Amino acid sequence: MKRHLLLKVDLQARYGDRAVLKDVRFELEPGEALALVGTSGAGKSTIVLSLLGLLPWRGGTVKGEVLLDGLNLLTLKEREWRKRRGYRIALIPQSPMSALNPPLSLLTHFAHAWKAHNKGGQSVFKERLNTVLTEVQLPIDPEFLARRPSQISVGQAQRVLIALALLHRPAIIIADEPTSALDPVTQNQIVELLRHLTRLHGTALLYISHDLVSVVQLCDRMAVLDAGEIVETLAVKDLGLARHPMTRALLGALPVPVDVLLECQRQSGVKEFSKSA
Amino acid sequence: MRFRSIAGWLLLAMVLIATAIVTSSGKAISEQDRNAVLEGASHRHPAGTDSLGRDRIVRVSAAFLLSLTGAVAASFISTAAAAGVGLLAAFSTAGVGTLTMLVCDVFLALPWLFLLMMVRSMLPLSTSPADSALITFVVLAALGWPACARAVYQGALRLRNSEWMIHARAGGMRIRQIPRQVLPNLLPLLLPQFLICVPAFVVAEANLGTLGLGVGEPLPSWGGMLLELGNSAILMQTAWVYLPIAVLVMALLLLESTAREA
Repeated sequence: MKRHLLLKVDLQARYGDRAVLKDVRFELEPGEALALVGTSGAGKSTIVLSLLGLLPWRGGTVKGEVLLDGLNLLTLKEREWRKRRGYRIALIPQSPMSALNPPLSLLTHFAHAWKAHNKGGQSVFKERLNTVLTEVQLPIDPEFLARRPSQISVGQAQRVLIALALLHRPAIIIADEPTSALDPVTQNQIVELLRHLTRLHGTALLYISHDLVSVVQLCDRMAVLDAGEIVETLAVKDLGLARHPMTRALLGALPVPVDVLLECQRQSGVKEFSKSA
Repeated sequence: MRFRSIAGWLLLAMVLIATAIVTSSGKAISEQDRNAVLEGASHRHPAGTDSLGRDRIVRVSAAFLLSLTGAVAASFISTAAAAGVGLLAAFSTAGVGTLTMLVCDVFLALPWLFLLMMVRSMLPLSTSPADSALITFVVLAALGWPACARAVYQGALRLRNSEWMIHARAGGMRIRQIPRQVLPNLLPLLLPQFLICVPAFVVAEANLGTLGLGVGEPLPSWGGMLLELGNSAILMQTAWVYLPIAVLVMALLLLESTAREA
């Protein structure tokens, strides 16, 4: 039987004459967590913008296909694209502080995001808002929601962005290096939160990062991006079998051997399982 | 902050005093006292009368209120138009943006004083005083927006490519949601623009009035009063008439400069 695919990507992207993405192909099943790993400048952020149809805003062009629910998004009109952004496919951006609009309160951020896809329904909005805020472990009191982005911590801002991404219960969340601006402790909390919430709602996750430790914690499969091409795709549990020099280089940069890391993760997973059972 | 509140209170006091004088004196702005033409201060006319025997203090107060109201309204329209045009230009395609800015440049390059004179002199002589006041301030508003629109355009262009804008788009932001996302960011630019336009329009109206092209008689205006003082001997005697306009413009400028710092 043919597997049901949520997202099938095959694209090339360029800025003017400069080809940034030469051959990027990957697939995503419902509820799956795929990591997209690569060094800086490999084209990770370009993939994010391409998948959301936002590359033209940065002066780039995309070719190929992005199949979501069997529909090629790249052939859609902007009107139709917009209806899917934030609704079917949501983004958790890289730098939490600059991703929030400085003069607007947190509540206004949520209200705008809600009105982008739903008309009216103030009571439904309040209910959903309280749910997502509780999910990301943020206070739900009006005093907190009246704050501006400059009045909260980076960790809180990242939680706000996760809550914004979860607001419409999307099928896919793209997380673009969501932990790179955070301290190690907060990093860990955010990764745990992402893992818990994507499993809870069965949301597929496209996790973009160069931090292999969080990839092992969070993802089922990993695709390695090098100079605009996906050079290797493998299951996270088979990381030790990686062949491509780029993958080996990434693994070599880990503070501990990858087998040790996988073993730790397996054991903590078992512990979690026994706890929940 | 202290200067700002001083300027604010000063303005409020002037408005209240002027309103009190106009409403409580019991004299209409065009009421003539034929027995007292061009008189000095007296009990009946605390600031004397003009060449038609009209009470000066009532006319100065009325002119103050008219000028301030007109200038504030014109400034509001002009700033709002600038915000609209600037946003539209920044968030449409590059071609539309460049074209709009070209139109702004053309507007800026127009000899506006000449244009004002032209527009005013095209109006029929039978234009009512109220219409002439309205037209004067509408014309000022129509000529005031391009400089501000350029500033808004530059500011909005920066915001258009900001991180939070990309994130808002990724969240499915509708096109009609853009102003509510962008305008709060442009407020520090629009507020001083609004405040600096008010004194500029007050002075522009006075200049036009001096040429006889501003607010028509019998409505009082700063410029109209300057016009009747063509006689320099009278000008020497009644130099105090300009005190209110000087205080008004200074208060407005003070308000503007402190608002920019805040």
